[in-house]
This record gives sequence, C-alpha cells and structure tokens, in this order.
Amino acid sequence: MLLAYAQLSLQAFASIFAPLFGQRGWRLSALFKQMVNIGVASMPTVALANFLLGIVLAMQGAGQFEKLGATDLVAALVTFSILREIGPLITAVIVIGRSGSSITAELGTMKVEEEIEALDVMGIDPVKYLVVPRLLAMLLMMPVLTVLGEGVGLFAGWLISVTSLHLDPIFYIHNATAAVEQKDLWTGLLKALMFGGVVGTVCCFYGMQVEGGAEGVGKATTKAVVTSLTAMLAMDALLTTLIYFI
Amino acid sequence: MSETKHKSPYAVEVRGLSRSFGPRKILADVSFQLKHGEILTIMGGSGCGKSTLLRHIIGSLKPDSGEIYIDGTETTKLDDEEFSKVRKRFGMLFQTGALFNSMTVGENVALPILESSDVAPHIADLVVKLKLELVGLTGFENLKPAQISGGMKKRVAMARALALDPDLLFCDEPTSGLDPVMTSVIDTLTVDLTRKLGMSAIVVTHDMTSAFRIATQMVFLFEGRVVATGTPEEIKANPNPILQQFINGYADGPIPLKLSKDDYLKRLLQS
Repeated sequence: MLLAYAQLSLQAFASIFAPLFGQRGWRLSALFKQMVNIGVASMPTVALANFLLGIVLAMQGAGQFEKLGATDLVAALVTFSILREIGPLITAVIVIGRSGSSITAELGTMKVEEEIEALDVMGIDPVKYLVVPRLLAMLLMMPVLTVLGEGVGLFAGWLISVTSLHLDPIFYIHNATAAVEQKDLWTGLLKALMFGGVVGTVCCFYGMQVEGGAEGVGKATTKAVVTSLTAMLAMDALLTTLIYFI
Repeated sequence: MSETKHKSPYAVEVRGLSRSFGPRKILADVSFQLKHGEILTIMGGSGCGKSTLLRHIIGSLKPDSGEIYIDGTETTKLDDEEFSKVRKRFGMLFQTGALFNSMTVGENVALPILESSDVAPHIADLVVKLKLELVGLTGFENLKPAQISGGMKKRVAMARALALDPDLLFCDEPTSGLDPVMTSVIDTLTVDLTRKLGMSAIVVTHDMTSAFRIATQMVFLFEGRVVATGTPEEIKANPNPILQQFINGYADGPIPLKLSKDDYLKRLLQS
C-alpha cells in the first residue's frame, strides 16, 4: 500500500517536472479547471472558517490576558498563531473536506466506470492526464488559500479587538507586526505547500485505487479524508519540530 | 489492407495463458489464434474468465504464464511504454462504454486523436464528424453522455475506439443491456466496420444470437478453460454437452447453475 502510494507520488511529481526536460507540457485547461474547483470555489469557506477562528482567538486570548492586565498582548497572540499554525491548518482542513474528498470520489467513480482503464487502453497515461492537474492545482492553490485565510483571520482578530475589546486600532497593528517575523509568514506558506502535496497525492491515490462500485467509492473517500487529515497533522508536527526546535 | 503489412499471419495469438487470483484459477492454459480480418467471439457464462482473458490481451492484467502475440509482437513482456505503442494500433469498446461523463460526445471521440499527436483541433473535429457518421450519430457532438441512450453510448464508444483507425478492435459485451433491435444495430456495425476498415476483432459475449451473427471464429470458455474452438458451424455441430447446454440455454445440464437438494445438504453439512 505504502509502496504503491510512493510509486504514484513519484510518478506524479516526475510528470509535473517532465516539461522542464522537453516533454509535452501541462494541460493548462485541465489545470485551470482544477485550480477553480480546488482553489477559487473553496475561497468563501476558507475565508469564513478563518474569520470565525480569528474572532475566537481574540476573544479567548482577551479573556486570559485580562486577568494579567495585558489585553494588548491579544494582537501578538492572534497574529502569531494565525501565521504559524491556525491559518495553514484550518485552510488545509477545509480543503481536505471540500476538495480532497471530491478528488477521491471523482477519480474513484471514473475507475469504477472503467474510464481510467479506457485512458490506459488509448495509450494515455492516467497519472499525467488525471493526477497531475489535480496535484499541481493543490500545490498552487493551498498557499494562495492560506494567504487569503490568514488575511481574513488577522482582520477578524483586529476587528473584534477594536470593536469589543476597545484596543487602539493603530496600536494593535503595531503590536501585531512587532510580535512576528517574516520567517513566520514563510514557514506558514511552506507548511501550506507541503500540505497541498500530501493532500493531493493521498486523495488521488485513494481515488485511483477504488474497487467495488459505489460502496468502494464511499469507503475510499472516507479513507482519503482520514489519512489526509492524519498525514497533514503529522507533517505539521514534523515541520514545526524541524523549523523551530532543531 | 494488404497481407504484406502484417508481421504475422495472426492478428492475435494466445499461447498457454494461465492466471490465478489467490487460490482460484481463472484462466487455465488458454490458447487460440485470430487471423487478420476475422471476427472472433469469446463466449462463456458469467465468471468463466472471458473478460479477464480480454484484459490480459489489452495489457490491463499480466498472466502467471503463457504468451500473447499481437501481430507477431509478444506483449506480455513489454513494459508500459512499449505496450502503449502497441495499444495505439487497437481500439477497445468497454462493457459500460466508459465514456468520460464530464466531456461531450465530440470531446470523447476527439480525445485519443488529440492525445496521440499534435493534430490541429479543426482537423480533429473533422475526424470526429466522420467517425460519428460511421456509427450513425451525426450531429450528436455537443451532447453529454448522460443525455443519450445506452445504445447510443455504445455507438459513441465504438466511434472513439475507431478514432485512430485501429487494426484491431476489442469489444467487451457490446450488446449487454440493449434491446434486440439495438443489439442488431451494434452487431451489424461491428461486422460492417471490420469489413470496411479491414480490421480484425475480438468480441467477448454471452449473447449467443449476437455471437453467431457476427463471428467467423469462436472460442468457448468454461471455468477458465477452452472447451471448443471453430467456425460458427463447427461450434453448432460440436456435441460437447456443456457447449450445447449453453448454446441452447437449457437450465438443466452439466453447467452447475443450481445445486440439487442433496448437494445443498452436503455443502451445508461440510461447512
């Protein structure tokens, strides 16, 4: 199972870079279609989830910092957590639930309906034709969605602090920028990129493995979502350790 | 199609093909030949291994032992890249049609053309129109597979299988689930097209009427073994009781479709 996953992932990444070595380029129309499916269509949900978490973070932080008489630390808490962790994490969770599951279900249905075998018989590589546009769209759109989510989350934190906690709007921004470094933004985006790779390969893999009709598609979709979530969290832990503790 | 174009007298030759899935032997020492320009039907009941046999010939499955030659080229030892070159010479009509539901009928037929070479889209459009005309579906280019009937889907799948002017056509249960008229339409189409385009064809089916209508050669499989081969006349005259039960569709006979009371009791006690 792991071997088959590794094989598919390697083959997919090799196909992504193949145009650099003179082979036929990416199917741009298929790529744009997937970027819209995975990225653009996820924007409202990603924005809403990050907005709500920005509010929750600010309110929870304010409750604790108030006891210490340090309410202005809310800005640091919100910015720091959103850029480093919450932004990439919650965005990936939304993308897994929304787009990852749909990738597995779509590829799985194609497998069941013999469409993938038909591609093979026509001499068209299903990995190049189906997996590459989805994986590439995931790699490109996960960071884009993360930036959007982080922006909305930061705005939500600022909004609640200014309106409900009566913090000074400019002072909040000053505190927020002082609390983080550029590295925090880059590491968050690196995480997003890695999450995109993990989610894309896992969901495509389970889709391509489906057997046994509609029931098989359902089971594979569940497995893809659970495995993507677990692998994404494990990747998060690993990257946090590598970047901040070693 | 001239004989000199071919490397071998046989379009397809299968020698001693065996395949097991776990403890179950699905194909056991299957051998047969298909000459160029002929239509061979592989017949047998459900689960006798006929679709598995076809999947071996098209390279979706690898055998445990035995060889398959497509126009003299041994395909069982080819890697994916080499096999994809051989695949360009054949078309396949799947049991469900296997059309891409997200694409229109025209895009489905155009897919193998556009993917196999750098053909300009307007040339591909022209070829699509010609192929759809061959199967009697002129003007259906812009419909989605979900908007057309089962029989039409099979015909679109046939047009797609013919898109690259193959030498060999494979059909997996082309008439299953179709009414008698549509079955006849598909059969006539298979015979006409193979004659007109000089192709050879292998058709997997359990529909006897259809098989006798189109075949020039027949192979009958039972429990993964070849029970009989020959022309339709030879098959009809073959006294093998299994074959005769299948051709005539008798419920009683050597084919174990139903357990007798005694057998049922015996199995129950054994388990």
